[in-house]
Amino acid sequence: MSDASTLKRTGLPLPITIIGAVIVVLICLFPFMWMGVSSIKTLPELYTVPPIWWPETPTLGNYYKVLFESNIPRYFLNSVIISVGSTFLALILAIFASYGFARFDFRGKPLLQSFVLIGQLLPTAAIIVPLFITLRVLGLVNTYWGLILVYMIITLPLSVWMLTSYFKAIPVELEEAAIIDGSSRLGILFRITLPLSTPGIVAVIVYAFVTTWNEFVFALCFATDSSVKTLPIGLAEFSTEFNTDWGAVMAASVVMTLPIAMLFFSMQRLFVGGLTAGATKG
Amino acid sequence: MDRNSTGLVFVLPALIVLAMLIAYPVAYTGLLSVTDRQGAFVGLTNFKAVLSARATPQAFWNTIWFVGGSIVFQVILGTATAILLNQNFIGRGIVRSITLIPWVVPGIVAATTWAWMFHTEFGIINYMMTGSGIIPEPIGWLTNGNTVMPVLIAINVWKLFPFVAIMVLAGLQSIPNDLYEAARVDGANFWQEVRFIMIPQVRSVIVAVTLLLVIWGLNSITIIYAITRGGPANRTLITPIQIFRLAFESTQFNQAAALSVIFFAVALVIVIIYIRALASTPGEAK
Repeated sequence: MSDASTLKRTGLPLPITIIGAVIVVLICLFPFMWMGVSSIKTLPELYTVPPIWWPETPTLGNYYKVLFESNIPRYFLNSVIISVGSTFLALILAIFASYGFARFDFRGKPLLQSFVLIGQLLPTAAIIVPLFITLRVLGLVNTYWGLILVYMIITLPLSVWMLTSYFKAIPVELEEAAIIDGSSRLGILFRITLPLSTPGIVAVIVYAFVTTWNEFVFALCFATDSSVKTLPIGLAEFSTEFNTDWGAVMAASVVMTLPIAMLFFSMQRLFVGGLTAGATKG
Repeated sequence: MDRNSTGLVFVLPALIVLAMLIAYPVAYTGLLSVTDRQGAFVGLTNFKAVLSARATPQAFWNTIWFVGGSIVFQVILGTATAILLNQNFIGRGIVRSITLIPWVVPGIVAATTWAWMFHTEFGIINYMMTGSGIIPEPIGWLTNGNTVMPVLIAINVWKLFPFVAIMVLAGLQSIPNDLYEAARVDGANFWQEVRFIMIPQVRSVIVAVTLLLVIWGLNSITIIYAITRGGPANRTLITPIQIFRLAFESTQFNQAAALSVIFFAVALVIVIIYIRALASTPGEAK
C-alpha cells in the first residue's frame, strides 16, 4: 500500500530531468532509427556521400530479399523453438534449485552454490571443443535439443541466482504457517512461494529468452546445418568479410529485433514495475 | 522431515545438467591442455607455446582494457540513468522501456548496426562529426588502431548500461519512503539524497551487478568478433577470441585448451579477490 501524498520528493529540477530523459532516449533509439531508415533505402542511396536522412524512393526490396530469397524465415522458426525450449527448461530447473538453496541447509551447500556461479564464469570459447565432442557422442550436434541443452550453461546459473534471492526475500513465516497447516513442501512452493515471486519468474523468463535468442558463439559452432541455424548466424551470413549487402543486413536486423522488442514491451510492466516490489513490499 | 536430503533433492536436477555440461568439458579441457593431437602426454609444452606467442600478452592487456573500460562507464552511466528514471515525470514508463532496448536486442544486431554507423565512407557518425566540425575529416574508426578499441568499448557500454540502470532502479524503488522523509525533515537537497540515501542503499545492488559485468565482459565475444574479429593488427584481440581463433581457425585444440586453463585461472582469481574484498567491507546490506 502506498500513499500518493507521501511520494512527493524534492527530486531533480524538471527541465534537467526532461533533458536527461531526451538524451537517454536518443542514445538508445538512434541506432534503431538509422537501422530502420537504412533498411528501406535502395543501393545507390545507401552508398552516397554525404548520407541522406530519408530515402527519396523508399523501397521494401531489402525486406523482400530477406523474407523470400533467404533462409531467414527458417532461421526465425529455429530460433523460436530453441529459445522457448531452453527458457522453459531453465525455468523449471531453476525454480527447484533456487527453492532448495533458499530454504534448506544441507552439507556442501556453499560449495554447490559456487559451482553454479562458476558455470556463469566459464569462458565460453574455452569449452566449445569439449562440448562439441560431448554433443557428438550424444548425437545432438545440429539438433534442437543440442542447443537447448547447451544454453542451460548460460541461462541456468543466473536464473538460479536471481530466483534464490527472490525466494529468500519472501518471509519464511508464511511458509511455516503453511507447514503447520500440513502443506507439503511442493505445495508450499507452488501455492505460496511462486505466486509471491511472479516478478522474479518474469525476470527469469525474459532474461533466459532474450539471452538464448541473441546467443551467437555456441550457435555458430553447434548448429552448422541450415535446418537448425538460428537468426544471429543468419545475420552474420549476410555480411561476409568482403562484400556486405548493408540494406539486407539492416532489414534482417529489423526482422530479428522486432519480435524480441515486442515481447519485451508486453512484459515490461511486470518486469520493470515490480522487479523487487512484489514480495518485499506487498 | 529430513531437511538435509530434501534440499538436495530440489537442487539435484539443475546440478546434474550443469555437471554434464560444465564439469565434464572443464575436465576434458584440462586433459587436452597437457596432451598433443594424438592424445600423448606432453607436459607443459602447450602452455609454453601459448605463453611465448606474441599475441598472448597483447590479448591479455586488451582484455583488461576492454573489460575494465566498459565496466567503469557502464556502472556510472547506468547508475545515473537509474536515478534519472526514478524521478517523477510524464512519460517515465515509456522512457524506462526505451532505455532497456539496447540491452534486449541481439549483440549481433547491435554490432552490425554500429559497424554500419561507424563505416568510414558511408557512416552517419563520420558525417555528423565532420558536419558539425568536431573532426576535420572522416576517421576510419574501425580500421584505425587507436580508435577501434575505444569505439568497441563505447558500443559495449551502450549495450549493457541499461542492465545496470534497471537493476539499480529496482534497488532505488525498494528504498523505504521514511528515509527520504527523514532526510527532508532535516532539509536535505536532492544531491544529498543521492549521496547519503540512494548510493548507500543501492550499493549492494551495484556490487552484485559489477560482478556480473566482470563475468560477462570476460565472456564477451560477439561484438568484437562480429565487427573486427580481433583486428586490425590484433588491436582488439581479447583472450576469448584468441582461444576461439586458436581452436577453430588454426585448429590448435591443445594450445587453445592450455590458454583456456590459464584464462580460467586468472578469471577465477579476479573474481575471488573481488568477492573477498567485498566480504571484508563493513556495512554490507543483507
